[in-house]
Amino acid sequence: MENPSSKRPDEVQSVFALTVDVIHSALVSYYRLSDDEAKGAEEDLFIWFQRLSRRGGAGQMPPKLLRISLLSAACQYGRSFQLWKLGGEQSSDLALNEILAREPDEVAGDLDRRFEEERS
Amino acid sequence: MSGRVLPFRGRPLSSEAGIQAAERVLATPFDERAAKTRALHLEDPETLLALCGILRERMGTSPASVRDEAEFLYRFIESPKRDIGLFDERDYFLGETALLAGNACRNLSLREEAWIWFDRAEAGFRHTMNAPAEMSRLAYQKLAERFEERQLDLVIELLPSLVESFKRLGMPEDALKCRFLEGLAHVEKDEPSEAVQVFNAVCIEADALGSERLLAESYGNLIHAHGMLGEAAAAVEASRRAIPVLTRLDDRIALAKVHWGLAILLRETGHLGEAIDSYRKAQEDFETIGMRADVAALNLVVADLLLEEGKTVEALREISEALPVISELKMAPEGMAALSLVRESARRQEINRQALRELHGYFQDLQN
Repeated sequence: MENPSSKRPDEVQSVFALTVDVIHSALVSYYRLSDDEAKGAEEDLFIWFQRLSRRGGAGQMPPKLLRISLLSAACQYGRSFQLWKLGGEQSSDLALNEILAREPDEVAGDLDRRFEEERS
Repeated sequence: MSGRVLPFRGRPLSSEAGIQAAERVLATPFDERAAKTRALHLEDPETLLALCGILRERMGTSPASVRDEAEFLYRFIESPKRDIGLFDERDYFLGETALLAGNACRNLSLREEAWIWFDRAEAGFRHTMNAPAEMSRLAYQKLAERFEERQLDLVIELLPSLVESFKRLGMPEDALKCRFLEGLAHVEKDEPSEAVQVFNAVCIEADALGSERLLAESYGNLIHAHGMLGEAAAAVEASRRAIPVLTRLDDRIALAKVHWGLAILLRETGHLGEAIDSYRKAQEDFETIGMRADVAALNLVVADLLLEEGKTVEALREISEALPVISELKMAPEGMAALSLVRESARRQEINRQALRELHGYFQDLQN
């Protein structure tokens, strides 16, 4: 059997490496994770992302679509983690409440646009 | 405000270790696996990812075993509910194993079971991060099943939208697979020249994509279309290109179809004896793979040829072999009507050839 990881590991690593700063920034400044919590999240996200790229439906996907999936997963992670920390209570941080009220995919879309703008 | 806690995990297996673990799983009998879950790393996403890859590759070789393995994996992940991997991975593996089981059932003509598995696949994929891509792959399998159920108008109506989805998602190989259905629809409509055009275009694109499997399978379909046109040289050339690759890939379903296509050519060019031999070869291939519907369909085709040679007794034997399998399958009304006529004529030992031809014409689609 073809080793699926040999298919395009460089491309996957590259997408992650280019996106990780945006992810870190979103987790810390949007979702208010601590620096250590964000780093832990990034480790999990990297492992997950490598496997995502080898799924049946993602094997041929171009880098941009892979990046959007990654950003979406990061936002879902940040939101879920913060909701768990808050234990169902509202935060005194209004900006945090605002970001938690938004759909993670929507936030990910904003992050992707910012990513594109910064690189253009 | 609500949300679920996303689990943290320890270090998983490497992808290489996952492949080795997957091979150990497949070498372990089903009833021993549950007790060896930890030793086999059966809950590790790398193992599951490798298992899905192996089963996908085995689809053309052994759909029956793929069905059994995929069902085992689905049940294992589904109940008792296991925490598999990170984020959406449990849902993905439920969807993927169900899709594999459904695809295998489609190849085995287990129509009702295929639809149930497709529903399960949808239930899993709906919750994944990359849902549009996975749902589009599922949509392809559903259309392929509808094609085999002769819902051609619906297939033709929905194909362009699916092609567009695959293109937007950057999945060119899947988009190209949709064109197979388009070509096969032309075959079904008795438009072999149009089918040749489509499959030639598929060959060019498959070559450009570097997909030797799609390229070889497309040449396989060209044999069929050229065979219908009685174009011997073109059919032989297509088989020369298809057979070595399909043999190397051990794609037995496609190889059986190659023999079927060559049989059509031999029949169209008046070599009835050789055509029967080639149909027999295809039949043996389908028998080995467990594709009983195709074996039965070929019994009817051979019966028709035997009648053409005046061999009524042998033809009746062929029909008698096919009828129980055909009855077992849930067929559309026009298939059942033809079946009733053939059954009645077999009872009287005066075969109604038109009914026979309608029935094996109906069955012809199953090979696709």
